[in-house]
Amino acid sequence: MTEPQPVVLGELPSLSKLYVNAATTAARRRVMGTSAGERLPVVSHEVRNVLADVGNLTAYQHLVGETASDILPAGYVHALAFPVSMSVMNRDDFPLPLLGMIHLRNHAEQHAPILFSEPLDIRSWAENLAGHRAGTQLDVMAEVRSASSGDLLWRGVSTYLAKGVFLPGIDKPGNSNGSPGSSDFSPPDPTALWQLGLDAGRNYATVSGDFNPIHLSVLSAKALGLRGSIAHGMYLASRALADVGAVKSDSFAWDVTFEAPVFLPARVALDIATVHSGSGGWERSDYVAWNPRSGRRHFTGTVSALS
Amino acid sequence: MTDKYTQLVSHGLGKDVAKRLGLPQPVVLRRYQPGAPLVTGPVLVIGDSAGADDIATTLLGWGLDVRRNALPKEELGAIVVVLDAVQHPRDLSKSVLTAGTSLRDLAANARVVTISRTSQSAPSPASAAARQGIDGLLRSLAKELRAGTTANGILLDDDLATTSPSALGALRFFLSGRSAYVDGQFLTVSSTSGMLPNDSDKPLAGKVAVVTGAARGIGAAIARTLHRDGATIVAVDIPAAGDHLAAVANEVRGTALQLDISRDDAGHRIIEHAIERYGRLDIVVHNAGITRDRLLANMDEGRWQSVIAVNIAAQLNINEALMASKYFKDAPRIVSVASTSGIAGNRGQTNYGASKGGVIGMVRSTAALMESFGGTINAVAPGFIETEMTAKMPFAIREAARRLNSLKQGGQPQDVAEAIAFLASDAAGGISGEVLRVCGQQLVGA
Amino acid sequence: MAVADETSGGTRNQGSAPQAPRAAVIVGGNRIPFARTGGAYVKSSNQDMLTAALDGLIARFGLQDERIGEVAAGAVLKHSRDFNLTREAVLGSALSPETPAYDLQQACATGLETVIGLSNKIKLGQIDSAIAGGVDSASDAPIAVSEGLREILLDLNRAKTPVQKLKIIGRVRPKDLAPDAPNTGEPRTGLSMGEHQALTTAQWKITREAQDELSFNSHRNLAAAYERGFFDDLITPYRGLNRDSNMRADTTLEKLSSLKPVFGKNLGSEATMTAGNSTPLTDGASTVLLATAEWADAHGLPKLATVLDGEAAAVDFVHGKDGLLMAPVFAVPRLLARHGLTLEDIDFFEIHEAFAGTVLSTLAAWEDEDFGRTRLGLDGALGKVDRAKLNVNGSSLAAGHPFAATGGRIVASLAKMLHEKGSVDGRPARGLISVCAAGGQGVVALLEAA
Repeated sequence: MTEPQPVVLGELPSLSKLYVNAATTAARRRVMGTSAGERLPVVSHEVRNVLADVGNLTAYQHLVGETASDILPAGYVHALAFPVSMSVMNRDDFPLPLLGMIHLRNHAEQHAPILFSEPLDIRSWAENLAGHRAGTQLDVMAEVRSASSGDLLWRGVSTYLAKGVFLPGIDKPGNSNGSPGSSDFSPPDPTALWQLGLDAGRNYATVSGDFNPIHLSVLSAKALGLRGSIAHGMYLASRALADVGAVKSDSFAWDVTFEAPVFLPARVALDIATVHSGSGGWERSDYVAWNPRSGRRHFTGTVSALS
Repeated sequence: MTDKYTQLVSHGLGKDVAKRLGLPQPVVLRRYQPGAPLVTGPVLVIGDSAGADDIATTLLGWGLDVRRNALPKEELGAIVVVLDAVQHPRDLSKSVLTAGTSLRDLAANARVVTISRTSQSAPSPASAAARQGIDGLLRSLAKELRAGTTANGILLDDDLATTSPSALGALRFFLSGRSAYVDGQFLTVSSTSGMLPNDSDKPLAGKVAVVTGAARGIGAAIARTLHRDGATIVAVDIPAAGDHLAAVANEVRGTALQLDISRDDAGHRIIEHAIERYGRLDIVVHNAGITRDRLLANMDEGRWQSVIAVNIAAQLNINEALMASKYFKDAPRIVSVASTSGIAGNRGQTNYGASKGGVIGMVRSTAALMESFGGTINAVAPGFIETEMTAKMPFAIREAARRLNSLKQGGQPQDVAEAIAFLASDAAGGISGEVLRVCGQQLVGA
Repeated sequence: MAVADETSGGTRNQGSAPQAPRAAVIVGGNRIPFARTGGAYVKSSNQDMLTAALDGLIARFGLQDERIGEVAAGAVLKHSRDFNLTREAVLGSALSPETPAYDLQQACATGLETVIGLSNKIKLGQIDSAIAGGVDSASDAPIAVSEGLREILLDLNRAKTPVQKLKIIGRVRPKDLAPDAPNTGEPRTGLSMGEHQALTTAQWKITREAQDELSFNSHRNLAAAYERGFFDDLITPYRGLNRDSNMRADTTLEKLSSLKPVFGKNLGSEATMTAGNSTPLTDGASTVLLATAEWADAHGLPKLATVLDGEAAAVDFVHGKDGLLMAPVFAVPRLLARHGLTLEDIDFFEIHEAFAGTVLSTLAAWEDEDFGRTRLGLDGALGKVDRAKLNVNGSSLAAGHPFAATGGRIVASLAKMLHEKGSVDGRPARGLISVCAAGGQGVVALLEAA
């Protein structure tokens, strides 16, 4: 794959405009029967000198249960980079429909603590277009660097699935890549129990800017074919990260794999297990969340030390 | 604290209307206030004996305005009739009739006090007749007096001077507002024990007093009154009354002891508490009592037993512990609350009457046991007292009970407390085994 | 549950037994009967109840107009208006208004911590007398406005012009008007205390029968103590209540075993925790009078027991390493080690019964060889608690548990028990108090007959 060509945007794009644009693009494509092609655009979008809004940061920290420190939580950085990623996926030459895309996995690396006052350069692009048994998946990459030193502070990989979209020339995988062994999951004793109200989606949309209609209300979610609104995956993962707590070091990797969506309102059971290395230091924290009534797994993940 | 009727007929229009209708005319009684004068006007001392002269001299010494002969139209605060030397009923006439001519000059809330000798010790039938005659005379006179004026008598044993300490103590008590609701009663002075207080406003200074049943009503008033007179209070009541008890204890700056007095170790616990906290125990007031009224035909064992257990058995038990204690040997005082029901009886109160009669018997018998260490034991028998308990009586019965006495009104808890405070004082050291009724001279019964 | 292999929460002995220049003596205590929430104290505030408990103490010990060294108390559920709760209660009491006071809050350990803290001040010579206490009302609990409304009201307060104000008022939505009641859920886990204990109860394999039996004994022991008159000088009635209203003197094991489980119903294992073997929400207040021996003597007051020492511990319940209410399991061995004592040297155990499962899990952990080695850093199990010495006059399952008031209840009762016991084998009788608290905390204390 060739190095993506940088496109520097003047400012962070507005997510709500992007969603409106995505909806009209989808409608146009349906009406016109046009397609954007079968390849990912070889281009990256970048916004420079981004500053976190401290009020918004505080609201985010309160919502997900983080300490309201001056350091940006890894999930907050994801939210900060998200509009840039969205603008990539919203390009006319982006081959997959943005609306209805499913978040399969997320991987983030926090290399150093980011102070809220630090200007950031955020770059995002898409790669790894691949077949999935239910459609087509891709990775949306994001990098956050210090605007002053250029040091890489944070890196994220979000894997999305465009369900039911099969592009020519991209093969379906054999049998791997599915959700691994969710059928034989037996829930452990929970260490936490979350009560998520109907407004959990709207509340996270307010602090993250992610106003995807599937999170906002039963009606808007139904318009997109869901039986109800669902919680943001990154909200759930961010709460799990907050629950892991201060044990994690300054630099860490944070992984989450999403399985069954969390329809709102919901009770979500969570288990966090801390694993220590032979020398007694923290090695990683594994977490798994499930529906306490049905026992269906919602997501699993790990926060681990970056060596 | 005066009942509404008494307030209404004591002033202005209400007073006129009541007079014309012939309704009972109770007045607002003169009750003791620290610092108030002993009597409201000059005191006329009647009698020719040396004892009468001594009394007149003593009263002068108290700073009172003393008259040996009545002045025309002068309003009097009290008449003291000294009859200590009468030998024959004929000897009564001069002094008694002299007193009679001055009765109209008595102010409201004035006092008539007789001083005479006990008939039991009389040397002759004539002497006994004269002495006992004073009893009937005084009780009748008390019923003739109006406007809160009372008549009470002091009885001296044969060898006692009219100025023996407790005779003077009793005289002060009867003259003062402390005896407001005591009417038609006698107090017998049987020894020269006792001592008038240095500070007549703090006659109990330095004393430690235990009051049982102190959480409310008469018990709370006793605690307040003893505290006012200078005593340190240990307020005792059952644990279930602890909240009211705590409030009383805090008000009188004493301590609360939550204790069921019918427990076997109650006496021990009381002594232990008083000694540990205050290092001494001078006064025990047995006020705690319960009623479980039923006609005897309907009486069950529980009702009977509980009244006996609390009202008399507990007192006997505690007294035993007190008299066995080395801490209760310095001229201690026990005062029990009896009841006119224990004297005259009351329908539906056979158990209560038995217990209160029992208190009177106990007091008379115990007096001799306490004599050797200068201790005294006495009882006070309240009549109709305005309390939370009597406030719950049906209106008509309550009104009748209130008015059926010479003072035409119910007494206040304070009236009972004042009598107890006097009997608990050093001044009453020569009075023991007595039962003093605080009943406004109840007209029915004894 | 995570597999943990280190002993960070263990019995490493920090510091040596304090050499106090003078003892902190427990003179006595007073509490009001504990009432089930919504019962006799339904309209009484924390300040009302604390004042009532204080006034009873003042009456019992004749402290009217006395300037006490310091009064410390607290409440777990607290109104913002109660920012100076204890001082306000002092001002409303018969104590000298020149008595200083402060509030303290350590969840359910509040009451015990006030005793330990004030005892330390006495031992240090800073004060000669003190009153420790605690109060809680679940009936008169503070109700907060919703987060949305709260922000709007705060913004409104900051707005300057009428137009700004009008704009802000326009932000109010119907859902903002729903009040936000406090709950007993742990903020970091969302699990209620009962659900947390259900996990621990299951982990330590505590049976339903054992829990019901502990609860039965609690009611029976408390009722017997009342009958004996044990509480005659420990309790002052309030609002017509003479005894703890939760107590069921006539309860039976059959009745207890017929109750349906209320906690742990979504766990894999059998749900064993019922309303009968869990404490109900309760209202009440308690106080304890502490002093130097000299002060007590000078005031002619009894010396029931001395506060020897205290210890606090906390556990990482957030990540499931230990149960929420298991911190005393770690605090007790540390405290005992500091004094060279074992469980066998204790004559009375007062282990707060937040749930029957809490007490039984605690005992199980102390009896567990492996736990003793790996987590407490001992050679084996800490030891066995003689059940005949455990909560002999009842505990929270029967009496109820007004959070901050429980410490004072236990301290005053234990001090009296130690005083009655006097000496054992020629040494003063000893008592151990263990109180678990929200947030994975535990406070324990050692008392000795004076």
